[in-house]
Amino acid sequence: MFQTRSEYDRGVNTFSPEGRLFQVEYAIEAIKLGSTALAISTKHGIVLAVEKRITSPLMEPSSMDKIMEIDSHCACAVSGLTADAKTMVEHGRVESQNHYFTFNEPMPVESLCQTLCRLAMSFGGEGEKSMSRPFGVALLVAGFDEEDKGNDVGGYTLYHVDPSGTKTKCRAKSIGSGSEGAQTSLNEEYREDLTLEEAETMAMSTLKAVMEEKVNVKNVDFAVLKSPKFQVYDAKKIQEIIDRAA
Amino acid sequence: MTSLNLDFSVLDRPVRKEADELTSTLENDVLCGINTHDQYFTIPRVEDFSRFQKDVVEHVKPQHGTTTLGFIFEHGIIIAVDSRASQGPYISSQTVKKVIEINPFLLGTMAGGAADCQFWQRNLGIQCRLHELETGKRITVTGASKLLANTLYGYRGRGLSMGTMVAGWDTTGPGLFYVDSDGTRLKGKRFSVGSGSLFAYGVLDQGFRHDLSIKEAAELGRRAIYHATFRDAFSGGTVSVYHVGPDGWTKMSGTDVGELHYEYYPADAVENPERHGGGEGDIFVPKKREHEQNREDGEKKKDSSPEAMET
Amino acid sequence: METYDAVGENNFNPSSYHGNHTKQHATWSPYDNNGGTVMAVAGEDYVICAADTRMSTGYSIMTRQYTKVDEMSPKTLMASAGFMADAATLKKLLKGRCDQYQFANNKPIGCVAFAQMLSNTLYMRRFFPYYAFNIVAGLDAEGKGAVFTYDAVGSYERTNYSCQGSGQQLIMPVLDNQLKTVSPLVLPAVSSATPLSEEEAIDLIKDCFATAGERDIYTGDAVELFVMNKDGIRKETMPLKTD
Repeated sequence: MFQTRSEYDRGVNTFSPEGRLFQVEYAIEAIKLGSTALAISTKHGIVLAVEKRITSPLMEPSSMDKIMEIDSHCACAVSGLTADAKTMVEHGRVESQNHYFTFNEPMPVESLCQTLCRLAMSFGGEGEKSMSRPFGVALLVAGFDEEDKGNDVGGYTLYHVDPSGTKTKCRAKSIGSGSEGAQTSLNEEYREDLTLEEAETMAMSTLKAVMEEKVNVKNVDFAVLKSPKFQVYDAKKIQEIIDRAA
Repeated sequence: MTSLNLDFSVLDRPVRKEADELTSTLENDVLCGINTHDQYFTIPRVEDFSRFQKDVVEHVKPQHGTTTLGFIFEHGIIIAVDSRASQGPYISSQTVKKVIEINPFLLGTMAGGAADCQFWQRNLGIQCRLHELETGKRITVTGASKLLANTLYGYRGRGLSMGTMVAGWDTTGPGLFYVDSDGTRLKGKRFSVGSGSLFAYGVLDQGFRHDLSIKEAAELGRRAIYHATFRDAFSGGTVSVYHVGPDGWTKMSGTDVGELHYEYYPADAVENPERHGGGEGDIFVPKKREHEQNREDGEKKKDSSPEAMET
Repeated sequence: METYDAVGENNFNPSSYHGNHTKQHATWSPYDNNGGTVMAVAGEDYVICAADTRMSTGYSIMTRQYTKVDEMSPKTLMASAGFMADAATLKKLLKGRCDQYQFANNKPIGCVAFAQMLSNTLYMRRFFPYYAFNIVAGLDAEGKGAVFTYDAVGSYERTNYSCQGSGQQLIMPVLDNQLKTVSPLVLPAVSSATPLSEEEAIDLIKDCFATAGERDIYTGDAVELFVMNKDGIRKETMPLKTD
């Protein structure tokens, strides 16, 4: 096994004889080194929560943004190489604005995710702008479609986008180093009739369980995507959730 | 952000590309990367581009004509506009929205070519939004107006026709800029743009004080636009007034000129219309003001003769 | 329109958009006006888009059965007057874009989105415009009738009724007289839906075309009405005078 790997994992466009693309698989592995991020969707909105690894007391926690707004109806939480995430989010922002410019409507969330996937797959191409390697980042993209407001999930959808360019619709999903444990507890605890508040608490207690450090307002970030506006929680609101989850 | 970097290389290129090139398109510096399927403007391959543009305008008669104004005073900014669009002598719309709401803190006004204004101010809107997403802060009015001016400068000499004001509130307070298709960009406290602007200036300059209340300022704006619609054939419809304050803009009023006429009409009836060549003065006299008129007529006889009024 | 010296000796290409390379005459007059009248009226839960079927050039009638209204998507109708070659090209391009939209977003394009797309498409030819005067009619997301009216370079506005083409100056005053409501710009806002029922609107449109045909040499032969409501689209035709 080791032998085949070292032969076939050099190029991003070379399959191994077993039909595997090792560089892409390694990229997926890279995410497992990242900090934990999770998202829980409810009928009333989607909660995004991330762990921030403050490795030194001299670090400024507010400069790490792992939850980013793509447009007012769409935001994402990321894990992995956050610099790569920036590129993808920027691409998503431009695509979303372009859609609005062309069609005078917010870009449907699925189409927006599709453009992110297309970018994730555009490695290995020629030219200045193209990436020479897969993106080492996974995104949890939360979005709201006005015209699906009446459906059973209230128009809210959550997608998981990974470096292979696959997008999966999820109800609740976690990525990053603590994702295994977090996903197990999400799988057990998730209900379709969660309120937003319950989802916040669930997100916090899940993070708490998988994080090595003790949670505080500085080492977690919370945000909620709720029509009509995406909102990042301030320290006060986060403390409230911490207290509730205790 | 790479896709938004202004690429001025387009300015170094001649307007008309070499004849052996198959397509002649203008790479749009600003839209490149934003517009995925509309990256190029089609340029006619003619020797005399300016003459072609002039003829096209004659031919397709794009919508035109306006009075717009904006001024800064103690409590913010007032923007007032009419709503008429004409194609030659034909009034193509009386309900044009000439204030373009770029975002909750920024307004643009529209004078000149309607399509030019609509398109480029929408474009400005998304540029401002991208700036906001990237930096987490709202763009300043200075910045926004510069983005528009840079874009327009890139199209200098191609026949765009825009005279706009960009007004908004940012960390430095109220901001008002005049930006036009020649590339002019002026910061100022008082502007009026469009075919009826001279008439509007007349009323505006006469009634302006820095310490006007919001209500008085809105009234001044409305009155100035009304008088422009009265004298300028290319202005009319509805007068819309916006106020920009620290919490963003609000629309103060929208009033049909037909109604304002009875409030503002300046001239009183003269006793003998025949002698005055049947001037407009005798057509619409508000009945409710009859008693005032009697009083004023009495005064008039004392100090001014009707002949003097004719000049 | 005047003729122009083309770039270079005698190779230029009016349809440079597609990059076709053809040799043509050195002088060039890219536009013609084929006449024709198009109009649309929107109601609370319906919209009607109508056009006559005559197509002329100069004083000659080229055909009496030219349909100027097209279904661009299940909720969008588009009618164009002016230069039919440009109008046809424009519609072909737009239909392609509608398909692209459907593929990208898994749903047919709505009339509001289509309206914006048309505006942008027209503006992309700002320096070499499509000589086409368009009206878009459709039902919006709430099922309300919507009419969008354009100039040749893409400025547009949502209204309740509109008329474009050779009969515009004859018909618009009639529509203003019958249908004009309080301007949407007026504050406090007043609902400004067309006060007519679907049947009344159909009658009004037929009358408009019959009268315009009496005074406009470019309007005549027949009028086609496309009526869109919650049940779908139906087409009615009424013959006009052929003189």
